[in-house]
Amino acid sequence: MRQDDFAIDNCLKCSVCNAACPVFGVNAQYPGPKQLGPELERLRLEGISADTEWLEYCLGCHRCDMACPHGVGVSEMIAHAKAKHHKPLVRGLRDWWFARPGLLGKLTTILPAISNFALSMKLARFFMSKVMRITPLRTFPAYTKPNLRTPPARTSEDRARLLFFPGCFIRYNRPDLGRKVIELLERNGFATEVAATECCGVPAAANGDAAQAHAMARANVKSLVAGVDAGMRVVTACSSCGYMLKTGFGGLLKDDRELAPAVQKIAASTLDVGELLIAQSDAGMLNTDFQQANMRLAYHAPCHQKSQGIGRPWFHLLRQIPGITIEDLDAGCCGMSGTYGFKQEKYKISVAIGQELFDSINASQPQMVATECATCQMQIEHGTDFKAIHPVEIMLQAYNGKII
Amino acid sequence: MESNHYDVVVVGAGLSGLTAAGVAACQGLRVALVATGPGSFVLGSGYLKTQEILAAGPADELSEAIAFFCEMAQAAGCPFEGQFSSSRHLPTILGDFQSVTFAPRPLWNAEPRNDTSTAIVGIRELSYFDENFMAERLSDQARLLGSSCTYSARQISLARSCGAPTTTLRIAKRFDYDAGFRAELIEALRPAAAGFVRVLVPGMLGLCSREQQIAQFESELGCTVCELPTLPPSIPGLRLFHLLSRHLSKLGVELLQGFPVSKLQIQDGVCMELEVASPGHPMVLRGECAVLATGQHSSTLLGVDCNGHDEQMHPLTSSGSVMAGNLFVAGTALPGSSGSSGDVMEILTGHRAGSFAAATRGHYAAR
Repeated sequence: MRQDDFAIDNCLKCSVCNAACPVFGVNAQYPGPKQLGPELERLRLEGISADTEWLEYCLGCHRCDMACPHGVGVSEMIAHAKAKHHKPLVRGLRDWWFARPGLLGKLTTILPAISNFALSMKLARFFMSKVMRITPLRTFPAYTKPNLRTPPARTSEDRARLLFFPGCFIRYNRPDLGRKVIELLERNGFATEVAATECCGVPAAANGDAAQAHAMARANVKSLVAGVDAGMRVVTACSSCGYMLKTGFGGLLKDDRELAPAVQKIAASTLDVGELLIAQSDAGMLNTDFQQANMRLAYHAPCHQKSQGIGRPWFHLLRQIPGITIEDLDAGCCGMSGTYGFKQEKYKISVAIGQELFDSINASQPQMVATECATCQMQIEHGTDFKAIHPVEIMLQAYNGKII
Repeated sequence: MESNHYDVVVVGAGLSGLTAAGVAACQGLRVALVATGPGSFVLGSGYLKTQEILAAGPADELSEAIAFFCEMAQAAGCPFEGQFSSSRHLPTILGDFQSVTFAPRPLWNAEPRNDTSTAIVGIRELSYFDENFMAERLSDQARLLGSSCTYSARQISLARSCGAPTTTLRIAKRFDYDAGFRAELIEALRPAAAGFVRVLVPGMLGLCSREQQIAQFESELGCTVCELPTLPPSIPGLRLFHLLSRHLSKLGVELLQGFPVSKLQIQDGVCMELEVASPGHPMVLRGECAVLATGQHSSTLLGVDCNGHDEQMHPLTSSGSVMAGNLFVAGTALPGSSGSSGDVMEILTGHRAGSFAAATRGHYAAR
């Protein structure tokens, strides 16, 4: 998180990071961020590998960094060690795929109907569970034809232009959500271009595949830099992609002299859609042509939204829609953490972490849960009977008057 | 109002920052609390000692500040007990007693009461708490204080549910979310508590547990349960932090945790903006006024080399002039504010700075 801060002497062993760690709370054996991060880092700096399987169990939620009163980049140390961790063959193979949602997306969306059928087949799921160690208790998101395109330019208008970084989930699973993002931005006076980008690299980093994360970062920087140089801002609708663009590229490419200046520029130009719209709202330029709604929402802030340090833009935006009441659940991490919750050996931990969130949703009884992160949505729908959707969809519905 | 515009921006989530934010929020102001983590009080016992500070003077203001803080803690679900006119002897992890004026309720009840017998319960899997040592020391120390209170050591095992070795932090987290674990803990404590009016356990009764939850635990066990402050991490301290943060959030305070304030923009004697060092690009906050409760070391990093403060808690430059009319300072960011009444000093100065900041409402309208 704080790429330049590896000052482990700042760690006073106060355990505030352990208190904030979702995994530490639910697993009695997990050593916790204090030990996996700064404590073992001392050995690793001496050239002692101190490798442990527990490194794989870090969610990458960055709650330890956010809680540390002394600015120690705890999760960064764990991520580096995770990249050097040796996995047994089967887990290694599975995580190789999990590190490449872009490749998986490209392959499965050649014939999405067949892929979805295969992914839902009981036999296939049994096989994946036994051989690939992927839990059969979850359903995969459906794949669809990747048909998200830049809408035709409206030459008559002089609009601010944005580059949209869709990310794998929007590109391969929910291109309709991507189109909604573009429409929402258009209603607020922006012309949006869909960037020709790869996976952001968060899944690769989370699965300990540093080379792949590095390759993705390079490809994305090269693809985005021209637009950013031309003064375009980059918008994301996925909190993990946004987090990666703002921090991760810098960490991965910090020794790359050629790309480092571009990395910084991209980080400075990247905005979450909500962050962009709340700035519009502050400038009195938000389109507030909302129809009257009548809806009770609960809001869950994804970890990678929190770790962008941008406050709660969507919480405040949705509150502006007349007839919407919204409660910030503030119930911690959902436990899904991208591919983590799909892994058989981590499924139980994932669901145990989510329990506090599930309980708070059940207590709140909203009509719907709003959250920016696709895998938080999956986890909420897995653990409760409530529907979870992206705030973009709610805001667009409010313009169109289609809200309940 | 703009989303990033606040009446009061408080920097730092120690006791002074939390109190200042509470004071401003209770007056209906829009408040942001920016912090990188909890203040160092979370490492401490939660005991408030007022003797030293009372000797120094401002009794009326102090009682107002402490009353405000106790009200806030009560509303947050973590009530403090005590009164200025008397103090109590409360046990420490070293097995002696400290004279304390105010303390959170589970700690407050641990005083040596005449003619009572108390079980000190250790946990086999918790290596750093020695119940035999504690019982022997506290019995001796109580005798020296002229009390006929006796302490006996008992031990329970939580190996089945917690594994070994364990920590108070792990136990506290389980206590929070796992009703089954609380039931197991009660069953384990029941034989140890038999024949005693109260049990003393190391601080472990939850990181977020409110008064009612602890009271329910006690009623199910049928015995008063008191906590002893332990080595850091102090569970009672973390609990106070979590509950106060949640309470402030309910009052409408925007909690911006995780990134430090990296820059104060001061222009013509007015603090115009604060920059938070968020990744990618800074988050800019505008405030009618700001309270710096950054602790001892961070304020200098912000260019506020606090050379003292005036009566309204404005930090002064080395030449003795006010740095900015809408900038206030509280807590250990003030020079010379340490000593055994540190926590009380935090509350007092936080209350004072928060009150002055709230009173400037409208003077420094957004420009």
